[in-house]
Amino acid sequence: MLATQTCLDDFLERRMPDAGAGWLEKTVAEIGTGASGQRLAALLSMASRHAPRGPLGPSAAERDEAGRALAGWDPERWTTLDAVRVRMVLAHPAIHEAVFPDLLEECFRYADVGELVALYRCLGHLPDGRRFVWRAGEGCRTNMRSVFEATACDTPYPVSNFDDDAWHQLVIKAVFIEAPLWRVYGLDGRLSAELARMALDLADERRSAGRRIPPDLLLCIGSHGSERALQALAIEAASNDACARRAAALALGRAGATDRLRAWPQEESDVAVRAAVKDALDGRCDQIAFAVFEAGRD
Amino acid sequence: MRFFDPHIHMSSRTTDDYQAMADAGIRAVIEPAFWLGQPRTHVGSFVDYFSSLVGWERFRASQFGIAHYCAMGLNAKEANNDSLAREVLEVLPRFAFKEGVVAIGEIGFDEITPAEERAYCAQVQIALENDMVIMVHSPHRDKKRGILRSLEIAKEMNVPMAKLIMDHNNEETIDDVLDSGAWAAFSIYPHTKMGSDRMVDLVLEYGAERLIVDSSADWGVSDPLSVPRTARRMLERGVPAEAVELCTWKNALDAYAQSGQIDVEALERSPVIDQRALFEDNSVLRGQEPRIDDPVPN
Repeated sequence: MLATQTCLDDFLERRMPDAGAGWLEKTVAEIGTGASGQRLAALLSMASRHAPRGPLGPSAAERDEAGRALAGWDPERWTTLDAVRVRMVLAHPAIHEAVFPDLLEECFRYADVGELVALYRCLGHLPDGRRFVWRAGEGCRTNMRSVFEATACDTPYPVSNFDDDAWHQLVIKAVFIEAPLWRVYGLDGRLSAELARMALDLADERRSAGRRIPPDLLLCIGSHGSERALQALAIEAASNDACARRAAALALGRAGATDRLRAWPQEESDVAVRAAVKDALDGRCDQIAFAVFEAGRD
Repeated sequence: MRFFDPHIHMSSRTTDDYQAMADAGIRAVIEPAFWLGQPRTHVGSFVDYFSSLVGWERFRASQFGIAHYCAMGLNAKEANNDSLAREVLEVLPRFAFKEGVVAIGEIGFDEITPAEERAYCAQVQIALENDMVIMVHSPHRDKKRGILRSLEIAKEMNVPMAKLIMDHNNEETIDDVLDSGAWAAFSIYPHTKMGSDRMVDLVLEYGAERLIVDSSADWGVSDPLSVPRTARRMLERGVPAEAVELCTWKNALDAYAQSGQIDVEALERSPVIDQRALFEDNSVLRGQEPRIDDPVPN
């Protein structure tokens, strides 16, 4: 029994109505005898008729439990139906075997958008994750933001399995489609000079086009951008937009540019920007600090 | 006012259309599977098309605050390619029971051939076995005979007529359809189907019980706003507001919510509420909403 199976069982026991729980138990048992790809896909579809609609809404304790079962997994934005579907896939007795990727691929091929979200959420829970790297790349190539986030956010899958090219594409695409980059698990541990260059190139493009630089673009730089990054951050720090200044302050902290933070203009009037400068100086500028920009997106 | 367009082929429409529809108060749509203007030659084309109806198109609609449901089926025209039709009917169950699939449809007759009848019967059988709603297309040529034949078959197969929506009706077919106990839908589509004023005449004569107005807008010269335009024309010509609501919102909702796939409560509190207010302020009451000024001709 995988640790996350137990965890999902706990969550679902607290949420499934009696009839739905009965169906799930029966279905997990059927899948446990080795369902075909076609049958598994059909059962994943039917799950929408048995799980209650709406968010899973895990408590803080449940989120902690999830993180202990699988580091990097946060079910905060899952639906109950997602949890049911992931539990169903994990019930398959062949998940360790060589045939399993083909079987799962059949589910992906015939999936609707909700099933896609659940299937991508699965990937981090499966053993020998590298078997699904091509499929996860497809999840990042999508323009359906819900599907992208299921692949990229709140899961340890990409950071553990993607090569550098795929990882860079994921990170920059998250910025591009305004998915919450701060929720990409392991981001801070896998920044690089190449990623910083890509982010700074994109910043130049946005500036040439007269568009604003999204705060998450600065999150990609970390300490890797050298002089070019500091110049770009100086432009943002001088912006009329308080949100841009706030992001620049945090990014300067990440870049270790404490001298520039200490020299932040005394006449700074925005309370949130002043707080960000202080946070940056105190080292409170990891990726989680960028959560504040998510709600304020335009 | 709020509207439900229960027959529209959004995958052939632009985002401008989605925006205009949202602005005009259209809160939900049903996209029935049909042909693409030319015949497909491989079953894989159907798989990807069905998949897009429950994937990308659903996502596209959601970006405009419009709930997108669909009906799955093999259309009458392509039923005439016997070997392809067999393959399509084999893959249909992989999509027919997905979340948000509210009916089997649009199925029925085009040239009223034996091949069309075989496909129709096979799909009515799928609907019956799974307690599903059926959306029936009626032919352009020899319409009345096509409608009578499809109703007759449905009765022989013991379809509960409250679960059958006969579409593309006109003045010549309304009596037979209402007498059968089925719902009678009317496509307000320039040149080839109904016009707004003719629709108003019918509602004035018959009342709104079991009548449904839709646009059937597709890649032809058609109008994705024909439901709100027709509603406006009804109000201008003295149809009571409750009757307008029945045939441009509630009847379709009652008919297709029998599928269990429509969260009626969620639809009632959807974000399009603001746009409904805008529609009422700008147009129905004061006649100033330019987008829907003219009734659909013919």
